[in-house]
Amino acid sequence: MSKEDQQHARGHLPDQLREAGGLTEGVARDLSRKTGLPEAEIYGVASFFHLLADPNTKLRVCTGLSCQMAGADEVLAAAKAAGLPVEGASCLAACDRPPAVLKERRVLPAVGLAQIAAAKGDWNAVHAPGDSADAAWAGAVGPERDDPEHLALNLHGAPDRSASAFAAAQAAGVDALFDQLETSGLQGRGGAGFPAHIKWRAVHGQAETTRYVVLNADEAEPATFKDREILLRRPDRVLEGLAIAAWAVGAKDVWLYLRGEFEIPLQAIEAEIERAHAEQRFGDIRFHTHSGQGAYICGEETALLEALEGKRGMPRLRPPYPVEAGLWGKPTLVHNVETIACVPAIVERGAEWFRALGRTEAGSKLYCVSGHVQRPGVYEAPLGITLDELVEMAGGYVGELKAFSPGGASSGFLPASKRNVPMDYKSLADAGSMLGSAGVVVLNGTVSMRWAVQHQLRFFEDESCGQCAPCRIGTYYLRESLDKSAGREPGTMAEGSPKGGGEKERLTHVADVAWQMNEGSICGLGQAAPLPLTTALKHFPDEFAAS
Amino acid sequence: MIARSTVTLQGRQVPFTPGETILDVAKREGVEIPTLCHDPRLDPAGACRTCLVEVSGQRRLMPACATKCGEGDEITAESERVERHRKTLLGLYLTDHPFSRDEAERGPPNELLDMAERYAAPTDWGTLDNKRAARHGDRNPYIDFDPELCISCARCTRYCDEVEGVTAITLAGRGSETTITTVDNLSLMDTTCEMCGGCIDTCPTGAMAEKLPLTHGLKKERELTKVRTTCNFCGVGCQLDLNVDPEGHDGRGRVVKVTSPEPGTTTNDGNLCVKGRFAYEFIHHEDRLTTPLIRGDDGELHQASWEEALRVAAEGLMGVRDRHGADALAFVSSSRCTMEENYLVQKISRAALGTNNVHQCAAT
Ligand SMILES: Cc1cc2nc3c(=O)[nH]c(=O)nc-3n(C[C@H](O)[C@H](O)[C@H](O)COP(=O)(O)O)c2cc1C
Ligand code: SF4
Ligand code: FES
Repeated sequence: MSKEDQQHARGHLPDQLREAGGLTEGVARDLSRKTGLPEAEIYGVASFFHLLADPNTKLRVCTGLSCQMAGADEVLAAAKAAGLPVEGASCLAACDRPPAVLKERRVLPAVGLAQIAAAKGDWNAVHAPGDSADAAWAGAVGPERDDPEHLALNLHGAPDRSASAFAAAQAAGVDALFDQLETSGLQGRGGAGFPAHIKWRAVHGQAETTRYVVLNADEAEPATFKDREILLRRPDRVLEGLAIAAWAVGAKDVWLYLRGEFEIPLQAIEAEIERAHAEQRFGDIRFHTHSGQGAYICGEETALLEALEGKRGMPRLRPPYPVEAGLWGKPTLVHNVETIACVPAIVERGAEWFRALGRTEAGSKLYCVSGHVQRPGVYEAPLGITLDELVEMAGGYVGELKAFSPGGASSGFLPASKRNVPMDYKSLADAGSMLGSAGVVVLNGTVSMRWAVQHQLRFFEDESCGQCAPCRIGTYYLRESLDKSAGREPGTMAEGSPKGGGEKERLTHVADVAWQMNEGSICGLGQAAPLPLTTALKHFPDEFAAS
Repeated sequence: MIARSTVTLQGRQVPFTPGETILDVAKREGVEIPTLCHDPRLDPAGACRTCLVEVSGQRRLMPACATKCGEGDEITAESERVERHRKTLLGLYLTDHPFSRDEAERGPPNELLDMAERYAAPTDWGTLDNKRAARHGDRNPYIDFDPELCISCARCTRYCDEVEGVTAITLAGRGSETTITTVDNLSLMDTTCEMCGGCIDTCPTGAMAEKLPLTHGLKKERELTKVRTTCNFCGVGCQLDLNVDPEGHDGRGRVVKVTSPEPGTTTNDGNLCVKGRFAYEFIHHEDRLTTPLIRGDDGELHQASWEEALRVAAEGLMGVRDRHGADALAFVSSSRCTMEENYLVQKISRAALGTNNVHQCAAT
């Protein structure tokens, strides 16, 4: 088999495994005969991804923090008691409408005990409340107005299929476009906040002429669900941003990688792609979609590229960075959905306009708000807004603020006293946390910090790719240590694990292990995984003290 | 003039050839950098993290095995930060690995334990239950996998893929459940495995081990003497090390297993095939002929000395030549002969007996 044939066969492997019904006996051997790829390799790939590795599980109850706070544990227990083929799952990006349940590949919001009871033991009969078709699950989005003057994403805006920004960018030329991006101050919205223009220029400047643009729509950082809303509401913006990027860096093919649980957003973006292709909206630029198969780590850009190539989603060593050697070794521009969706507005309304939308840093930003607030949802606000202002947009607090997690599980926890820290990349980093994906979880006084941390640590343990020792062993070690220090696994949300009876000395080495994970891990997962524990120990020491 | 590229290693300016890694240069310069997932025959994986060092201009510690030297780089392989890194990393490894030698050494020295000792890694961080699945009851005769000892360095799977081109084994699962297995967890016998045993050779902890010495309860490798020899199963000339228990065989020494020399030191680069690595039981087998035998007039074979045997053979050959001419003789050498032996066969054929009828069985 030639190298190209192999590449091609590999790229289709995840889909073929899915069509074959996941990893059951004989499937890998069968596909090996069909594709010519080694059977052990196929088995190894399938076993990596939860949605492929365990095909008999039809329902998955979200065990993310926000869903747990809304009673996911009881829903999972009830479903198990009812004999349903059910397991827990990492955050399903539906934290605004908890508890979420995944039915095969479809996320059902707000599934409670009543919905489990009504299914009468038939997994296929589990539905979201009030909507048996389960189709409409766009959540609350604010501000609730079409306001292109003040909102870069403007999620309530009508679709714009004119390709006017695409035309404007071409009229201005690449250099002007890059300058514009630089002046706009656009930072990557996927978590790292890296200046966008640097990556665009880097890909543009490569000697290799085959280049790719990849959209990161894996959105699996716990508490994050903004990309879901963009894909559902503004697929037009996403495609136009991608087209501008592709034209600017000299790519013809654009890959959109959506997490496998995004069945409905995938339908939305595929419909838009079909339309754009038919209209030749963006010339000869072609869009391709790829569904993930259940692995948070594939949001990490190099793991994503591996998965897109049909391999186990293990992050690559860097350097080389994707801008130099990305998809199939070619220069590749990888961006988060939100970053890309900002681009058309920047081109049309100008860099200064975008910059001024922010308060402490450039631009407006989508914040995902969940947990103890009145109206969980996605809110577009100036970068640098404070927690109190943001929660006001979300209808106010439920109960009294105790702690918050500003940017997904990876950002750890901050105490109420940090409520006035501007929620931007730099200020939160200075506060020992991060803006990350801007998945904001609000915890009130009813939540035990130990309980919250136990769930976050379990998430990282479940999602570590297992490639490097600091993360593979460290995530396991920290979770086990915290459980053992308490004497048992998470208790109830209010009391956490009961004090006493635990092996307190289990926490003695947390600082060393956390240091090692941060220094030694290959990628951001392992580097950030200790933060929920270390930040909670720092800000809420009493809750971890021996009784 | 070719400009010489240099880096600063531990404060010393040293040359490098573009393309060389930090580890390459450190090895040459005698600067110790520990490694576990590195095998010079494989593409660097940078996964075990033991080789991380400080490199100027890099915020993060960099894997020496995978990081190419850049002009003017300042590389620090010994510092407080690197030392803390090694200690805490190895301490963490030990929570997931048995650390009594009895349990953790199945034959070859356990490189992880040696390293943990060398860097005084803490051993009091508690222990985690192993979550890596085994393939119980694999009926293959040679290779045994013990997941307790596995450190997921993926040397075995990468070797199987990159060197042998066989890909019979794979990493499976993820996170702390990551293990080594085959398609559908089948016995190696039911896969593409060629039983070369390279997985055993490259494994740093002995998680992949040879079954025979295990089931025979033989001594650990440290107590055995290695004798370098040439494999005589074919003419390629692979070098291998007979591992001899000096007390065995009534004190005459007993070959109890075969290992391959360090990669990079012999032409076979540490690789062997199923025969070279595992088919050594014939050495002390009771059916083995240990003296020449001559068939007597009674039709039976009788023990003889080498002198007698050679004389009888020479007389027979020369008798044929004298009666029927030299070309009535022909020599065919075995494919198991080395090049030197083949040379001697054509010498005896052409020079001693005077015929060009000489052939090598592997030539057709
Ligand atoms: C463990 C991990 C998970 C990540 N998950 C996502 C994700 O779901 N979506 C995303 O856009 N970026 C994610 N990232 C960040 C990406 O690696 C990358 O920085 C980003 O896609 C670049 O796009 P941007 O510059 O537009 O932010 C993740 C990073 C890590 C380390
Ligand atoms: S840090 Fe964790 S997720 Fe990242 S490469 Fe290492 S094991 Fe994989
Ligand atoms: S979907 Fe449940 S916490 Fe995010």
